[in-house]
Amino acid sequence: MMASLLVLIFVEPNLIISTMIDQSKDVVSLCINLLAIYAVWLGILEIIDQSGLGEKLSNFLSPVIKKLFKINDSEQIKYISYNISSNLLGLGNAATPSGIKAVKCMEKDLKQTKFAMLMLLVVNSTGIQLLPTTIIGLRASAGSTSASDIIFPTILSSVIATVVCVCLLFLYKKLKKL
Amino acid sequence: MSVYIIPIILIVLILYGTYKKVNVYSAFCQGAKSSFDLVKGIFPYIVAIMISVALFRASGLGSLLVNFLTPIFNIFGIPSEVCELVLLKPFTGSGSLSILEDIISRYGADSYISRCACVIMGGSETVFYVSAVYFAGSKQKIAPAIIISLFGGILSAIVGCLLCKIM
Repeated sequence: MMASLLVLIFVEPNLIISTMIDQSKDVVSLCINLLAIYAVWLGILEIIDQSGLGEKLSNFLSPVIKKLFKINDSEQIKYISYNISSNLLGLGNAATPSGIKAVKCMEKDLKQTKFAMLMLLVVNSTGIQLLPTTIIGLRASAGSTSASDIIFPTILSSVIATVVCVCLLFLYKKLKKL
Repeated sequence: MSVYIIPIILIVLILYGTYKKVNVYSAFCQGAKSSFDLVKGIFPYIVAIMISVALFRASGLGSLLVNFLTPIFNIFGIPSEVCELVLLKPFTGSGSLSILEDIISRYGADSYISRCACVIMGGSETVFYVSAVYFAGSKQKIAPAIIISLFGGILSAIVGCLLCKIM
């Protein structure tokens, strides 16, 4: 950010404040959208939670999560399992609020969850998606003859990247003795 | 087909909740209420990160980085036309989506270039945005995870372009 500012001072100083404010305006409208989207998904999540379905889901996923994230707290596991399952379904909008809640939950005992937090970020940012719906829609509307033939390469490339990244993170853990 | 999956899940969910004697209406409202706090919490962090990205692009440093990295990406089989997308994807979802639309309309939906671009778009996430939102206000140091994730994004782009070529 410093470097960008320094360059801009010499090139186009009048652009600085206007860029910042324009961007901030965009974020305000983004946040209003997010407010609506999260309200819907958090409402649905709460139903899942109270009906006991969430517990079943996290019981189902907990062996994998325990291995990957090295945590034992049931509430943390629950939010992480929401996060992962909505990511797999391609519901990024549902994944984000549950991810935020998982981090908030893990903040409480920072010493034990250090690694889990890093893992959550890595798993979320490599982003395995079973159905990249937005992109398929985009291709179809641009007149593609087989809009969905990108599904397989997309899934395979993101799976490979995720596996490599998870291994790298475990390597980092070993080196740093977390 | 996929249009029906989510609504069906919702219907099943509401029926199941009622069967389990959960007050579905008040549970939904309770969850929806927490949306305000969540967005209020992440807002300042999104503003900060998006402003940094905007300044980076406005200053021309962004395109400088693209020019610098394009030949390196070429070595690994990523076509020059999609390099900007690979580099922009970690920063902004909407920005990279508009680049993708641009590529598709310029090269045609079924061309090799557009297919690469689509795979790159679907194969990774907006790392900086995700880290700003998830770790809003967190004291945890996440730099190593960001570096690994960025590497993962580039790796999935390389693999994706290769897969598009052979299939």
